[in-house]
Amino acid sequence: MRSSSYSVLPARTLRTVVVFALTAGLAATVPAAQAKTPVPRETPATTPAAAKPYMGWSSWSMQSSKYPGLNPDGDYSYLTEANVLKQTDALAAKLKNYGYNHVNIDAGWWMDKTWKTGFDQYGRQTPDPVRFPHGMKSVADHIHSKGLKAGIYLPVGLEKEAYGEGRTPIWNAPGCTTADVVYSDLRTTNGWDNAYKLNFDNPCAQKYIDSQAQQFADWGYDFLKLDGVGPGSFKSGDNYDNVPDVAAWQQAISTTGRPIHLELSWSLDIGHAADWKKYSNGWRIDTDVECYCNTLVTWENSVNDRWDDAPAWSRKAGPGGWNDLDGIDVGNGEMDGLTKAERQSYMTLWAINKSPLFTGDDLTRLDSYGVSLLTNKEVIAVDQNDSPVARPVTPVGDQQVWGTKNADGSHTVALFNLADSPASVTAQWASLGFTGNASVRDLWNKADLGTYKNKITEALPAHGSRLFTIKPGGGTPTTTGYEAESAANTLSGNASVAGCDACSGGKKVGGLYTGGKLRFNDVTVKKDGIYTVQIAYVSGDPRSVTVSSDSGNGTSEKFPSTGDWSTAETVSVQLALKAGSNTITLDSGSGYAPDVDKIVVPQSV
Amino acid sequence: MECTTVDVQHTAARDNTPSRRGFLALAAAVGAATALGGPAAFTASAAPARPIASPMLSAADAAKNQLWWGAPGSAKSMIEQGLPIGNGRLAALASNDPADELLMITDATLWTGGLNDKLQSDGQFPYGRDDFGSLTMLAELTVALPDHDLGNVNNYRRSLDLAQGLINTSYDISGVTYRRQIFASRPDDAIVLYFSQQGGGSYTGTVSLAGTHGESTTANSAGRYASFGASLANGLKYGAAVTAYSGTGRVRADGTSITFSGCEDLTVVVSGGTNYVPDAATKFRDPSLAPERLARTKVLNAAGHSASTLLHTHVADFRAVFGQLDINLGTSSAAQRELDTLERLRARHRDDIPDPELEAAYLQFGRYLMISGSRGSLPMGLQGPWLDGNDPDWMADYHTDINIQMNYWMADRAGLSDCFDAFTDYCLVQLPDWTEVTQRLFNDSSNRYRNSSGKIAGWTVAISTNPYGGGGWWWHPAGNAWICQSLFEHYEYTQDRAYLKKIYPLLKGAVQFWEARLVTTTVTDESGTEREVLIADSDWSPEQGPLDAKGITYAQELVWNLFGNYRTATETLGKDAVYRRTVDGLRARLYLPVVSPKTGWLEEWMSPDNLGETTHRHLSPLIGLFPGDRIRPDDSTPKDILDGATALLTARGMNSFGWANAWRSLCWARLKNAENAYQLVVNNLKPSVNGSNGSAMNLFDIYEVETGRGIFQIEANFGTPAAIVEMLVYSRPGHIELLPALPAAWAASGSVSGVGVRGGFVADISWKNGKVTRATLKSVGGRETTVVAGGASRKVSLKPGESVTLRGLG
Repeated sequence: MRSSSYSVLPARTLRTVVVFALTAGLAATVPAAQAKTPVPRETPATTPAAAKPYMGWSSWSMQSSKYPGLNPDGDYSYLTEANVLKQTDALAAKLKNYGYNHVNIDAGWWMDKTWKTGFDQYGRQTPDPVRFPHGMKSVADHIHSKGLKAGIYLPVGLEKEAYGEGRTPIWNAPGCTTADVVYSDLRTTNGWDNAYKLNFDNPCAQKYIDSQAQQFADWGYDFLKLDGVGPGSFKSGDNYDNVPDVAAWQQAISTTGRPIHLELSWSLDIGHAADWKKYSNGWRIDTDVECYCNTLVTWENSVNDRWDDAPAWSRKAGPGGWNDLDGIDVGNGEMDGLTKAERQSYMTLWAINKSPLFTGDDLTRLDSYGVSLLTNKEVIAVDQNDSPVARPVTPVGDQQVWGTKNADGSHTVALFNLADSPASVTAQWASLGFTGNASVRDLWNKADLGTYKNKITEALPAHGSRLFTIKPGGGTPTTTGYEAESAANTLSGNASVAGCDACSGGKKVGGLYTGGKLRFNDVTVKKDGIYTVQIAYVSGDPRSVTVSSDSGNGTSEKFPSTGDWSTAETVSVQLALKAGSNTITLDSGSGYAPDVDKIVVPQSV
Repeated sequence: MECTTVDVQHTAARDNTPSRRGFLALAAAVGAATALGGPAAFTASAAPARPIASPMLSAADAAKNQLWWGAPGSAKSMIEQGLPIGNGRLAALASNDPADELLMITDATLWTGGLNDKLQSDGQFPYGRDDFGSLTMLAELTVALPDHDLGNVNNYRRSLDLAQGLINTSYDISGVTYRRQIFASRPDDAIVLYFSQQGGGSYTGTVSLAGTHGESTTANSAGRYASFGASLANGLKYGAAVTAYSGTGRVRADGTSITFSGCEDLTVVVSGGTNYVPDAATKFRDPSLAPERLARTKVLNAAGHSASTLLHTHVADFRAVFGQLDINLGTSSAAQRELDTLERLRARHRDDIPDPELEAAYLQFGRYLMISGSRGSLPMGLQGPWLDGNDPDWMADYHTDINIQMNYWMADRAGLSDCFDAFTDYCLVQLPDWTEVTQRLFNDSSNRYRNSSGKIAGWTVAISTNPYGGGGWWWHPAGNAWICQSLFEHYEYTQDRAYLKKIYPLLKGAVQFWEARLVTTTVTDESGTEREVLIADSDWSPEQGPLDAKGITYAQELVWNLFGNYRTATETLGKDAVYRRTVDGLRARLYLPVVSPKTGWLEEWMSPDNLGETTHRHLSPLIGLFPGDRIRPDDSTPKDILDGATALLTARGMNSFGWANAWRSLCWARLKNAENAYQLVVNNLKPSVNGSNGSAMNLFDIYEVETGRGIFQIEANFGTPAAIVEMLVYSRPGHIELLPALPAAWAASGSVSGVGVRGGFVADISWKNGKVTRATLKSVGGRETTVVAGGASRKVSLKPGESVTLRGLG
C-alpha cells in the first residue's frame, strides 16, 4: 500500500478478505434493517431529474489506471482542467448525439498532485489551482457551452482536514463552526474513514451541507456524486449510516433551486434501497468497476461481479432513481483491457439493467468497435426505454438468459456466456411466457434473423453475449400451476409451509436447508419430452437448489436473488417428464435453498 | 433346457478375411489395397488411388453416426473441447472457431527420451521428459479469418462425422453460409482443411504453422508453402509443412505465413512427421530421412488435387474401416435428438433417462478414435496421439498395468481387428531392447522385484514403456504376461496362424522369464493337506498394498493364462513340444487364489487380510474374471471362487472414474449383471464439470486428479465401448453367448453387426424384447463353436469364409 500520507486515497482495491470479514461481522451484530432510522426530511423527490438513466463520461477510470501515460504526474493526476475540457469536446463531438451529455469530474478536484486537500475559509472543498487554474465554474461553463451537463464529486461527511480544530465557521450560518456539525467524539464515517460523521441533531450540520450545495449551484453544476456512502462502501454500523447525510443533501439541493442529480456511491446496502430511492437519483450497487491496474478495468476485476449482484436490485430501480452498475469502459479495447466479446457483454448487461451509461474511456482515442458499442441506438434504447429492468429468466450459471417484457408486447432478451470457453446458449420462449413462432431482431448486429420456433440457440464466445428483441407470434402455452404449499406435496427435513404475501396462494414452502426437500408428487403432462418448468421462488440472496424430475439426478442450479424475502420471482429449468404423472423435487442438499412459491408446467410439448 | 428349432442357413465364402470384408469391398473400388497395414514410419508413399465414384454417405446416413455441438472449442481448453482427427499417425485437435481455426497437431512418434537403461538407486527407472521421454506436439496450425468473429455469426454448428472421419463446421454471417471440412487423410498422409461458402462470401486471412519446440517457420513464395524442421535433443528429426490454394482471389506465401484474400474457397493442406523408424537395430532412426522436405513433398503432391478429390480419397479409406461394425441400441426421443452432444450428456445425467443413440454413439466414437489413432504407426498410449501441450501427464506413455491393454480390448470386439496391429508391431519392435535390458538389469541388486533365485531369462517391462525400448517407473514383472494375454487374445479372434507365429517369440520369452522367476512354497488347504506350489516372487499388486508380496493373485492369474496360451501356441504351430511339457508341469503346480475367510473376497495378496484400499481403482485380483476368463459364472468355476470374486467386485464399488468404471463394467458383464454393467457405462457419460470425472464436451474421458484439474485418459474411451460389446456378446474359443448382459435400457429392440468373436468368427445379431431374433455367424478362421442365447444352444460348424444365420434362438 501507499505511505501514510496517502491514506485517504480513494482507491478501492482493498477488497480483501479482512475487509469483507469485518463487514460481515458487523452486519451480523447490527442487522441493516435495525440500523438507525433517519429522521425523514421533507421535500420528497419531485424533481424530474433522472427520468431516464443518465449518460455521459466520468474522469475516474483514467485517473485510477496505471495505463502508460495517463497519470504522468503521479497517481490520479489525470484529473486536470485541460483533460476535462479535452474530453468534453470529444464527448460533444462524438457521443452527445446519442444521449451522452454528462461530464463528471470525480475525486481529486480539490486535491493537489500529492492528494493533499484544499478548503476555503468555510471548510468547503476548493479547487486545486494547479489542476483547475480557472476554478470549477469556468469548467462548468465550458461544458455548458457544448450543450452538456457538468458533474462534480464529494465524499460524504466532514473531511478531517476541513475540521480546523472545530473553529472553522460555516458559510451563511452565523454561530455555526465545524465543531457544531460533528459529534464531540469526532467519530469518523465513510468508506475510507477520512471524514467526521455529521451530527444532524445540530442544525449547523444541515447548514454545512447547504453551503456545499450552494457553492456547486453557484458554479453551475448539474450532477453530484456523493461517495463513500454507507451503509455500503464496505461499511456498516451506526457510524457509517449516511442516510441522514443523503437526505440532507437532497434538501440542500432543493434549497439551492438548481436541479442537481444526486448519485450515491459505492456498494450501497440493498437493505436501504428505499432510502436511496427516496433521497437520490441513483446508487452504485457494486464496488468500482475499475481494476487499478495497467488497464481501465478487467473482466474479473471487476466487470463480471455485476451478473451476480444486479438481479437483487432489479425491482429497486425506476424513473427518478436507477441501479448504477458503474462506468461503461468499452470504448478502446486495449485501454479497457477487455476482449470484444467482453465489451459487448458489458454494454449489454448495463443496458438491460437500465444502468446509467457513463464511460470512463479516453474519448479522444475510441476505437471503431468501441464507437459501434457506445452508439448503437437500438441498444441505447434498451437502456432508456420504459420497460422494467430485465432479470435472469434462467438460473445463473455460466450460461444465462435475461429478459424483460416491453410495452409493445415484445421481449428484450439477452444471452450471456460467462464461461471462459465458447458455449451455445438457448433462450426458450416458454421461459419468457410464450410459445410457437417469434421473430427475432439482433440488436448488436442490426439484423432481423427471421422467425424461430419455441427457442433460439446461438454460439457465444467466452464471456460473450447476444441481445435480441423478440416479438411473439401470439402463441401462449397451456400450463398447470402447482403450489408449493399444496397438501399433495411431500416435504422433508425442515421444509415447512409459511405465509408469503407476494406468493400465489399467499403461501410458500421454506426451511429448505441442509437436507430440506420439497417434492411435487403429481405433475401431469400429456407427452414424453423435455419441458421448460417455471419455478416461482423467494430468496433474499442467491441460493442453489438441486432440481430433478422422477428418478433423475437433477442439476444444482443457482437462483438469483429476488432482492429481499418478500418478493417472488421466476426462473425456468429444463426437465424431462413422461406422459402421465411425474414428480419434481427441489432439494437443498447440504446448503441453503430458496423458498418456493410454485411451479408452472406446460401441459404438453 | 429345450433346444428350440434353429433355422440354419449356410452361405458360401466370398473371401478369406470377412472381418475385412467391408474394407476390401471399398478398397477394391478405389484400388487402394496397399493401404492395408501401412508403413510404420513417415515415408514417401506411392500416389494414392483415387475413387472413381463418390464414396460420400447421404446426409441422412451420415447423421446416424454424428456428434454435434452448437459452439466451437476454446483454444485454452483443446483437450476437452477440440475435436480429434487422425490418420493413424498424424493427428490433431481442432477448435472450429470461425475466426481462429486452431489445429494442435501431433505425430505419434515425436517422442523425447531414449533407451533409459539405467536404474536409480531405488531400483526404479528414471521417469523424466529427457531420460524416459514424453510424447510431444508437432505443430500448431491456425487459420485466422478476422471478419468471422463468433459474436457476429448465427446458426453455428460443428459436427464430428464418425463414419466418414470428418469435422464439419457451418455458420452464417450476413446472409452467407460458410462451411469448412477438416480431415486427416491416410492415403494422402496429410491433414486437409477445406473452406467453402454459399451466398457470395469470400475468405480473407492468414494461415500460420508454428512448431511447439521453438522452431522458426519459413514461407517460400515460389514454392507456395511454409515449413519448419528441427531435431530434438535425442537426435530425432522432425518437420512439418503447409500449403494453401484457391480457384479465386489471391494466395501468397510470404515471411512466415500464407496470406489469402478474396478467395471464394480455400484449401489448406498440412503434413509432417519424424525420422522415427520401428527398428531397434537402427536405434529407431532413419538418418537419411529429411522430414521437413518430405512434408513439403506430401503437401504439394496433395495440392495437385481438388479438395473434393482429397475428401473422396479420404472418405473411401475411412468409411471402409468404420463400416465394419454397426450398432443400434434402440431409438432415442425427439427431445434427446434435438440436443447437441454436450446438452445430451447433461440431460442424460440430469434426467437419468436412457439415451440409446447417445450410448451407441459413445461406442462409435471410441471406434472413430481407434481408426484415427492406431493405423500404421505406434500404438495409442494414455492419450492416443492427442495432446494440447508438451507436458502431458505421465508423458502420455504406454502404461502396461492396464492402460495399453484396455486401449486394445475394443479392437477385435468392435470390428477393428486391423487397428490392433499397431500394438503387436510395437511389442515386436521393442522386444530386442526389452530382452536385453531385462537380462542386464532385472536382477540388479537395486531392483526390489529381482528374482531371488538369481536366475534370469526372457523379457519383461517396466510399468511405463516408451517407443525407444525404454522403461519408466518400477519394473513390472507380470507386465509381460498381461501384454501376452492381449496379444494372444487377438489370435483367438483372428485364428491367424501367421500372426501367432509372429508373436511366438514374445510368448516364449515371457514364459522363460516366469520359468526363471517362480519360487516354491508350501500351502495348507482347508482339509489340512499340505502341498508345494509355485508362486510369483516379490511383486506389487498394481498399484496398491505392499510393495513386496509373493504370490499376488494378479501375477498368478496372468502366468496361469500365459502358460495355457503357450500350450495352445506350441500345439498350433507344432513347436517346442518338449518345452511345452515343462511349462505344462509348471502350470499344474501354479498356486491359484482362494477366498479370504475374513473378507469373503477373492484374495489379492495371498493373504486373508485386506492390505489395500477397498475401493481401489485397479481390479488386479479379478484379472481372471476379465480380461481373463478362468472365473466364469457357470459350473466350471467353484461357487466359492465365483462368490468371492463377486464380493470383491461389489466391494470395489460403482463410483470410480473412467477406465476403472469400464473395467468394472466388463467384469459385471462377465457376471451377467446387466444393470450394474450398464450403470458403469452411464457413469462414464456423466458430463465432466471443472475437471470432474466423466466425459468432456468432446467425449474425451476426464479423470479428476485433484479438485478442479481433470486429465484426459483415453482408456475409458476404449474400455467403455469394449464393455458395451461384452454386454451383447460373450465369447471364448468354442463358446459364444448372445446378449449375456443386455440391460433394460437397450432391450426393446436393437442390433449389432461386425462383432468379433473369440474362436475366429464375426457375429451379427438382432434382438427384440430382450430376445435374439436373428444371429449370423461368419467364420474368419474358426470352425466349430456353440452359440448360446436365451434358453437355446446350437453347435455350429463352418469353414473359413462361410457364414450361418440362426433364427428362433431363445
